[in-house]
Amino acid sequence: MSQPPPPAVLVRDLHVRFGDVEAVSGVDLSADSGQATALLGRNGAGKSTTMKVLAGVVPPTAGEVTVGGHDAASDALGVKRVVGYCPDVGGLVPRATPWEHLQLSARLRRMDDWEERGRDMLERFELGDVAHRVVGGFSHGMSRRLSVVLAALHEPSVLLLDEPFDGVDPLGVEATLEVVADARARGACVLLSTHLRDLALEACSTAVVLRGGNRVAAMQAGELTGEAYRALLD
Amino acid sequence: MRSSTDGWADALRDTGHLVAFRARTVRRRRASAVGLVVVLLLTAGFAVGPSSFDLHTSGSSALDRAVSALEGNLGGTFAGFLLLAISAAMGSGGGRELLSRSEVAIHPVSPVTEHLGALLLAPLNLAWLVQMWSLLAITALVTPPERLLGAQLVVLAWVLAATGIGQAIGWTAEGVRRTTHGVVVVRVVSGVVVVVLAGLHLAGALGPLVRSLPTTWMAETAQTTSWPVAALLLLALAVVGVVVGARPAAWALGLQPREELRVQSGVHEARHAPAPRWGSPDRALLRRLDRGSVWRSVGMRRGLLVLGIGPGLVALVAGLQWSSVMLLPGLTASGAALLFGVNAWCLDGKGMVWRETLPVSAADVFDVRALVVAECMAMVSGVTVVLALLRNGLPPLVVGAAVLSCWLVVLVQVLAIVMSWSIRAPFSVDLSSPRATPAPHASMAAYAGKLSLVTTLTGMVFTTISTGPWAWLPPAMAVPFLAWSTVRLVRARRRWLAPAERARVVLTVAAV
Repeated sequence: MSQPPPPAVLVRDLHVRFGDVEAVSGVDLSADSGQATALLGRNGAGKSTTMKVLAGVVPPTAGEVTVGGHDAASDALGVKRVVGYCPDVGGLVPRATPWEHLQLSARLRRMDDWEERGRDMLERFELGDVAHRVVGGFSHGMSRRLSVVLAALHEPSVLLLDEPFDGVDPLGVEATLEVVADARARGACVLLSTHLRDLALEACSTAVVLRGGNRVAAMQAGELTGEAYRALLD
Repeated sequence: MRSSTDGWADALRDTGHLVAFRARTVRRRRASAVGLVVVLLLTAGFAVGPSSFDLHTSGSSALDRAVSALEGNLGGTFAGFLLLAISAAMGSGGGRELLSRSEVAIHPVSPVTEHLGALLLAPLNLAWLVQMWSLLAITALVTPPERLLGAQLVVLAWVLAATGIGQAIGWTAEGVRRTTHGVVVVRVVSGVVVVVLAGLHLAGALGPLVRSLPTTWMAETAQTTSWPVAALLLLALAVVGVVVGARPAAWALGLQPREELRVQSGVHEARHAPAPRWGSPDRALLRRLDRGSVWRSVGMRRGLLVLGIGPGLVALVAGLQWSSVMLLPGLTASGAALLFGVNAWCLDGKGMVWRETLPVSAADVFDVRALVVAECMAMVSGVTVVLALLRNGLPPLVVGAAVLSCWLVVLVQVLAIVMSWSIRAPFSVDLSSPRATPAPHASMAAYAGKLSLVTTLTGMVFTTISTGPWAWLPPAMAVPFLAWSTVRLVRARRRWLAPAERARVVLTVAAV
């Protein structure tokens, strides 16, 4: 009998410390390809820091983190090649245009025929009209939508979306849910961090709840009722 | 109903709250306190120290001539301070801000408070301090000791008055700039003023004109027993300047910043990815993005143009000697670095996190950013050198070697210093407004002081050796300077390559 494939994201006893502050203290997490996992928790629970570690932006202080087969501590560049990441805040160079963002991301990932997909994604997120306008004048919602486009452009094998629905209009939410569904369909691993339980359940099959930098529960999304979620947060 | 006095009283109180808030956010309190004490000591030193030189007993005719020239041009030096106050206020979009636009947006801060804040921050500018120290020092040098106190009080009153008037004119220019076609109007008027001044100078009429200004009467009266009259007049002028300046401030701040909005909604058509003949395409693409971040910023573009053209024009029109020109590349390169280089990663703003997720080596990112900072410094200082060359013609071999060596040394020197600072003390700033600075005001003052001190001393070293007969000496002297700066730059690069250090910089700049 063949071995099951290793998880696309594997986190064991992750600790992240900024000076005296321990932002993440002992998170364990496993997420498979073709699955979408919701990362839930209150403000300061460690969701965004965990996402930044998985994206190769912040090195783990301790613990083991493997993303798409790459060790986040020793091979951050390898991690960045397989990951598409939508950061929780901003995430855009203020005086560059959306097209320039897409061009840089695509070229650095050695994508040759990216223009058509880029144009299509901008249209799906209703950003086609502003493709060549500098993003400094964008609204918060427009910036969030562009961040999702940038994360998904290169069809990464691990898609990390940190608060992708924050301040986004219903059409943008729909487009983001489609991106998550597409990624799952092509076998990518999706991690979605959000405060919005209902949207998380709609997009994901499993859920992990963090509290105070620790994982407090991991379950099927359907099992995470409103009451159960509330009880885990307190 | 509220009276106008309530408005000013509220504004003063609010300014106090904003200053206290900023003061509480100062990271290195001890260093800031030491800096303040140093500035006060230097001010006292310049105000008193030169009066102890007994120049009339020196017997040197050259020295006598120099002192006479300083005395004769004291009125012009007073006028020069006003010109500086106006250009500083105009260059910074009306004046510096106590809190950034996004921070202040949620608070009920009146234009009068903004105006008072800009006035308070005016001295945190090296050019302002240096000019004030020059005024104090020259006055101390040419005034009899028994009249020194009165004369220096007049100088300080003039500094207050000129700053208030300069601020009022700065706000007016900013208001005009925010009207339809206002940007063109300000550029044309500024250009005409420069051309007229240059024309007057070349025609030999600028000196007599400056000497006929009321500042000459002021400078002369300061040294007489009538100094209280001049001081009181100037203090009254300062009050008028401050009060009147609130009007154009309210007008300007009530208008949309057209130039910034135009840049923020600017359309830049797609271009093909660069295909460089040499070097990697990745670096070329990063370079294009970084250059765009510089040239699409109103403040940086304006600053680079002023720094490039201003000192160069002085060199061109006034015909500065090569010994003086030697000091300019360091100062202009420092000025360019102060536009963003002292906090080089702030170009990416909150996009820093996204940039960090791109699959490109950290070494490439550092090298490209350092190159773009160096380009800006080389460009503005290069214009100065080229314009001086046009005016003075080719210098003797030893002087030419000294100029080129000095230029290269200060470029690498400033680059190494600012890249080290950018890693060691990054800040989260929004540079969309020309009133914004890449670091808090106290840090900017310290940065300006350190950079100008280092580059001026370096310039003096090369000026000295340019008087010798050996053309090989300047390049040879450049080697240890370059070696030390390279070590410093490599050290900063190594620090950036460490993932934990880089993460700290990224998270600080992006403020997440």
